[in-house]
Formats: sequence, C-alpha cells, structure tokens
Amino acid sequence: MVGAAAFLTHHHNSLYFFSSASTPRFLPEPRLRASPSPAKQSGACCSTDRRKLFNRIAPVYDNLNDLLSLGQHRIWKRMCVSWSGAKKGDTVLDLCCGSGDLTFLLSEKVGLGGEVAALDFSREQLSIASARQQLLWNDCYKNIKWIEGDALNLPFEGSYFDAVTVGYGLRNLDNKQKAMQEILRVLKPGSKVSILDFGKSNSALVRLAQEWAIDNVVVPIASFHGFTEEYKYLKTSISEFLTGNEQEMLAKDVGFTDAKHYPIAAGLMGNLVARSR
Amino acid sequence: MVRGSTVLHLKGAGGVSKALLDIIVCPLSKQPLRLCQETQYLISDEIGVSFPVVDGIPCLVPKDGRILDEKDNMRLDKSTKEPITDNNMNKG
Repeated sequence: MVGAAAFLTHHHNSLYFFSSASTPRFLPEPRLRASPSPAKQSGACCSTDRRKLFNRIAPVYDNLNDLLSLGQHRIWKRMCVSWSGAKKGDTVLDLCCGSGDLTFLLSEKVGLGGEVAALDFSREQLSIASARQQLLWNDCYKNIKWIEGDALNLPFEGSYFDAVTVGYGLRNLDNKQKAMQEILRVLKPGSKVSILDFGKSNSALVRLAQEWAIDNVVVPIASFHGFTEEYKYLKTSISEFLTGNEQEMLAKDVGFTDAKHYPIAAGLMGNLVARSR
Repeated sequence: MVRGSTVLHLKGAGGVSKALLDIIVCPLSKQPLRLCQETQYLISDEIGVSFPVVDGIPCLVPKDGRILDEKDNMRLDKSTKEPITDNNMNKG
C-alpha cells in the first residue's frame, strides 16, 4: 500500500528582487513579493496555494500518514535518519519538517548536547509539531527549534549543519536545483543530506501499481476525511518528480559527491543520500 | 510516535530564545538578525526588513518580511547604531 505521506509541502517562488547592492529593489508595496513562477500552473503549483493547502490538511495529516502506509512511514523515516549520519551532539536540520516526524527522531539521535532546527513553510503544520513537542514526555525534545521559512532561502549560515534530512518535501519544491544548492551551502563539508520521498520507478509495473493505489485507495480515504483534490494532486506530483538516477545527477551537478538513491518498498518510496565535499 | 492531528492549545513560549537567535540569520542577506525587544520582531538591518515571531516561532519566509520605512522605530539610527526613538528621530 502506498504511503500517502507529506505530499504537498512547499512550492516556492524564489525570484525575490534582491540585488547584491546594499539597497534591494523591491516592489512598491511594503511587503516583499515574489514574481510569479514561470513553472507550469496546474493544480496547486503556486507556492502560495501549496502553503494554504498544507495548512488545510494539517489536522488530518498524521492520521492519514499512518492509515495509508499502515504505519510503515515510521520505518522509512527511521531509515532516512540513519542514512543522514546524524549522531550525538550534532547540529542538524530537518527541512520541510511538517508536523515533525523526522524532527523528533533527529532530536533523539543528537540528544540534549545537540541541536535540531526544523523548518517548514506551513504555520499550521508547525503549530501541530510544537504541540506534539509539548505533549511528548521526552526531555531531549528541548533541543528542537521550529522555524517558519522558505526551503529555497534558508535562514542559516553556510557550513552550519552536520546533517540535513528532507521528508516528502523535495518533490514539491518549484526549484529543486536551488533547494539542493541551499542544502549544500548550509551543510558542513563532508556531511550528508538524506532525502526521503515517493519513488518514481523506472518499472512500468511499479508505476502502474502506484497510480492504481493513489486512485483507488489514497484518494477515496482522503476524500472521506474531506480532502479530495489535495491528495489527487499526488499522482501528478510523482509523475513530475525525478527518478532516482535523475536525483543523483542533480545532486552531483550542484556539487555533492557520493550521491546515491536507494529504492524502498519495491520502488514505491526512495531515499537519496548525498555528501557535501 | 504521538500523532499531533489534534492541536492542543498549549501556551507557547511567546518570545525568542537566545539559542534560537544563535541559529538563524536573514534568509536573504544571510546576515545576523537583531531582536527588537519592544516589538519582538526580528530585524535584518542589512536590508531594512522585519520578520514577525508568532508563539515563539519566527516567520522567516522572505515574502512575509516587512520593509522598514525611514521613520520606523525598529530601524537603527545610522549615526548611533541605536534604535530610532522620538528623541533622536530628527537629529542630523
């Protein structure tokens, strides 16, 4: 069964009017505005729409993850954290953290001597994550800092993190190259990024099974919870995503070394691991 | 793993911790942020933009930043490097 986990994270528009001169040129209104994305405008492709969408599904998100993957997403996320190489005392980043599943695992891994920054575009998801942090009886979760932010403009210095994880986020970013560049920038040399997401298999059979599962299992169950379009979008999103080989190539083009994509669950899921120089 | 689908309205910390300030920088200039104690906004002096903090969670999405105008009292006075106040606003 397909794990219908974090589909609709952030589709960011990144063309902010910021020049290298000291005075940035912004649009006349007082708020910073991004120019419209030149990307395809199907479904919820605009970053603003995606952000709203993610805010909307926040209340049912965790329940649906468990239901649709029969709890298996928890195993995949543990694998993602293992692959990141995060260890006690490390300073780590969970990007597109959503309601915090990977964040809490990282927090346990690095312990109170470490630090976890958890960034997401959706205020609603972060509210849930923060509430979970209060509920859970684990002291080490004090090492978590929640941040509302843009994956394409990370609010961190360069060479800061010992590891970065991304769970079901990369697929939904408008500019995957920019995202990978930002991840590379904030990683310490020799450190790894571990990116878990749906797989886009080279096998026609696997893709057929995936599409069938989305149409006949995921969407009906999501509809029952009041979210049809939000989860229908998943099929398009996967078909527009990168295959494992393409993800490896993207990582290497951006400057990562040792980029390797690991298929999981017969290729329904996959995890890219890449090391910064 | 606890499911957080039910949001409990627990009291947040409200403010910004020093530990958080140590981690974050301006998402655009990548320079340090300054916390305005009065308003609890995070200020990027480099580009003259403020970012809000809600329930202890900073909002550093660039398009949610607000450009500070010349007279905004969250700006730094260029000569003294102190926040502009009513007393020093019109000094040359």
